[in-house]
Amino acid sequence: MKRYHLGEFEELVLLTVGILDQEAYGVSVLEEIKAQTGRKVNISAVHTVLNRLEDKGLLTSKMGGATEERGGRRKRLFVLSSAGRLALEDVRNMRNKLFDQLPPFALDFSNGY
Amino acid sequence: MDTKHSHEPPKLAIRFLEWYCNPEKLEEIEGDAYELFNLNLQEKGLSYARWKFIWHVITFFRWSNIRRRKPTYQSYTQAAMFKSYFKLGWRNLRNQKLTTFISVFGLSTAVACSLVAYLFTEQIWFKGVNQKNKNELYQIVYKVEQDEGIVTKGTIAEPAYELLNASSSKYQGLTRVWRGSNVLIHNNETYFPRTQFVDSDYMEMFSYDIQSGYSGALEDPTQVILSSEFAERLFGDSPAIGQEISLVIAEEEKFFKVAAVLEPLKDIEIFEFEVLARFDLIWSKNEDLILQDQWKKECWTFIQLKNESELANLKSTFDQIQSSQNRINLDQPYLEISTIPFTELVPMASKIDNGVIGFMGQGPIILLATIAGFILVLAIFNYVNISILMATKRLKEIGVRKVIGVSRFQLILQYLSENFLVCLGAIVFGCLIASAFFLPGFNSIAFKNLQLDLLGNWMVWAWLGALLLFLTIASGIYPAIYISSFKPITILKQKAAVGKKGWITQTLLTLQFTLAIIGIIGGLAFVQTNAQNAEREWGYDSENKIILNVPDPTKFQVLENQIQNNSKVISTAGSNSFIGNWINTNEMKVGDTEISTQFLLSDPDYLTEMGVELLTGQSLDELVPADHETSILVNETFVKESGLLYPIESIVEIDSVDHRIVGVVKDFHTIYFQSEVEPMVMKASNTKDFDHLTLSFSAGNDQEAMEEVRAIWREIFPKDLFTGQFQSQVFDGAINDARGVQNVLLVAAGLCIILAAMGLFGLVSLNLKARIKDYCVRKVYGAGTPGLAVGLVRRYLLLGSLSAVLGGGLAWYAVGGFLDSFFAFHSGVGLFPVGVSIALLFIVVLLTGAYQMIYLNKANPSVVLKSE
Repeated sequence: MKRYHLGEFEELVLLTVGILDQEAYGVSVLEEIKAQTGRKVNISAVHTVLNRLEDKGLLTSKMGGATEERGGRRKRLFVLSSAGRLALEDVRNMRNKLFDQLPPFALDFSNGY
Repeated sequence: MDTKHSHEPPKLAIRFLEWYCNPEKLEEIEGDAYELFNLNLQEKGLSYARWKFIWHVITFFRWSNIRRRKPTYQSYTQAAMFKSYFKLGWRNLRNQKLTTFISVFGLSTAVACSLVAYLFTEQIWFKGVNQKNKNELYQIVYKVEQDEGIVTKGTIAEPAYELLNASSSKYQGLTRVWRGSNVLIHNNETYFPRTQFVDSDYMEMFSYDIQSGYSGALEDPTQVILSSEFAERLFGDSPAIGQEISLVIAEEEKFFKVAAVLEPLKDIEIFEFEVLARFDLIWSKNEDLILQDQWKKECWTFIQLKNESELANLKSTFDQIQSSQNRINLDQPYLEISTIPFTELVPMASKIDNGVIGFMGQGPIILLATIAGFILVLAIFNYVNISILMATKRLKEIGVRKVIGVSRFQLILQYLSENFLVCLGAIVFGCLIASAFFLPGFNSIAFKNLQLDLLGNWMVWAWLGALLLFLTIASGIYPAIYISSFKPITILKQKAAVGKKGWITQTLLTLQFTLAIIGIIGGLAFVQTNAQNAEREWGYDSENKIILNVPDPTKFQVLENQIQNNSKVISTAGSNSFIGNWINTNEMKVGDTEISTQFLLSDPDYLTEMGVELLTGQSLDELVPADHETSILVNETFVKESGLLYPIESIVEIDSVDHRIVGVVKDFHTIYFQSEVEPMVMKASNTKDFDHLTLSFSAGNDQEAMEEVRAIWREIFPKDLFTGQFQSQVFDGAINDARGVQNVLLVAAGLCIILAAMGLFGLVSLNLKARIKDYCVRKVYGAGTPGLAVGLVRRYLLLGSLSAVLGGGLAWYAVGGFLDSFFAFHSGVGLFPVGVSIALLFIVVLLTGAYQMIYLNKANPSVVLKSE
């Protein structure tokens, strides 16, 4: 199987969905990213990425419950699929492998990320 | 903050989102947008939240979120929908047979009319379009400076052919074309066919269907090709190939063998001929002519080139032709020799002098198009009116469909697709009606050979398709929009009032009546004018006179002597041309004013014999020598136009010679009443100018006199065409033309009244049926049938009166203008046609009323009202 290369933002969203476990939908992902990384992202960008990841089979979704602040509309709840988890592990392994090969002085620049 | 309940996101933004968003994603997207709105509301306040909401809606406007149709799924259901629409439409039509018949019949006649108009226009505007090599053919023309400026001549000096032929330039084919007027002799009978002389390349350059024989027939100069109609006239059923005929060319009889017969020529062909022969024959005596005369002879010359670039190669030959011509004929030098593509001949017809396509009469096209347009509009109005009322029976269907969620657009589509069925039927029937009745009738009136050739003519298909589309939209769009505009609630509560206020229906009906009245007045006024012109004096005595043609003036005296010997003949007179024919015009000078007049040369006693009335002065006298030299007679119009107060003894200068007016004659008609009487000068001349001989014979058996005269004539001119005719028949051609137009107009008027009547009938009966319960309730309460019928018809009588005023007024001007354009002599529209057409209209309205009254009388309230 050809491996799908995750983009940086895709990886972030995929991770966030994993963290949120059963409670991942557009706004919660947005808020979580903001809380965890301080990044301000656009809600429609989050939607696009969620839909794309679902199309790739990395996420699965189902309709969740309606709440008052949503004007009675239901949420689409996303869950990490096994392929999604595999993809995240892949990325992490790749990162670690590359990271380990960095020459020593490069380590000085690694703080803060 | 508890503002979250009292504050909502901006409505417009929500609407926009709901409009564009894919329904499958709408819920989650809208939910997220709301949730963010509420978060923002709590954190940053209302205006920020609202602004942010709008921003979110805009950012959600992405390709992946936008509503799109899923093609496969939808088209599948749409095909099924259309099938169901057509089925519903078909059932509806079957349930309302009479009204459907009225609509389809009306539309079909309109289609048939416009088909005739189209085919007529096609063969004028698209002449030559079916020639296979049309893109490779060019006509060689030249430009010359004349009084009116630079003129393009369609012909070119005949020796140009030889020069082109001898030149090294490459071309596919080259031919000269000359329309001859030659007498053809077969079995001692003389004919006067349309002959065309061409070179042997002609049959390869132009495509013709061969019935028998072979297309290379003209390679042999002693062979000819005939059209099938002419071959049939000559030889009847016996085969034409190999038969011998002779043509009189330059007063010499030449013999030919028929080697091919062409399929009937269509009207769309650019060349019309009955006999095709070799060009070399007519001017074969070229060697005898001096060079200058050779270069003065001109004919059409066509060249075929494989592609346009080869035109450049011809330039040097053209220059050579031009310099030769300008060296030899100094008076009118060629400015430029050029080519005109074959396909441009029709569009450029008016700019080419002596071209292949001469006068393009737009009059008949305009007349036919107007008639077709009239009837088309009438039929469409009819149809619109009836279909709106027909829809009343289906209102519940529409209401129910709307309730279960059918959009208005779909309803319109459904209606239009039903309408498409009806119009398709109308087109099919229209074609049938046209080819069975209208086209044969029109062909016999207009001497045309128009045919509906569905197999070979793709343009007709394109045109029919366009007409179908136009009809479907024009007749369907208003009813579709109208009936789909009702709200289900009004329909289902049975409060919808279709056609009650209906000002559109009433306007359409009024217009329909108006058009019908104009049509009828047009037809009747034309009939009236023809009848009046039949009674109108020609200004001379046409009874018991025969006009003989004299092919050879040198034999005039012999003919006259022989004729005078016949016991039936009373007197004879010779003339150049004759009264009732086209007469030469000449420029004359009266004092300082120049006028162009008709100039009739004849025996001194010609006018006396013709019974033309002398107003003042005296006639020309054979015994007075001056009357043979410088005396002239003039007509009233001449006196009027020249401004002479005392015409007698006045001097008129003709060709620099002074002539003296000795008498003034009353105006008489040399041409039919379509043209004004022109100024005319009559002068005595001698037999060398005479090409016609007019004789009076004792009253009695006309045909016998003609036979005897013909026998004498034949003895003297054994090889010429006899065109002798009675003086009383000289205007027959023009009268037949006028009668043809009259018949076309009468048919159109008849169709107008039938369409208007049927439309009214359909409308009234639908209206009646829709309100029959209403009427029956009134009947129960004691209303009489006549009273009810009056109530029913009164509105139509009112509309009829309105149209009578409108139509009568419009027709007075329009038809008057039309008569002006056709006749110089007519007595206007007059009250008779107006009266008759209005009376006809009211009869139609009243008859319709009467029929409905019978229907109403028969309607039994207990049956009608029982069902509920």
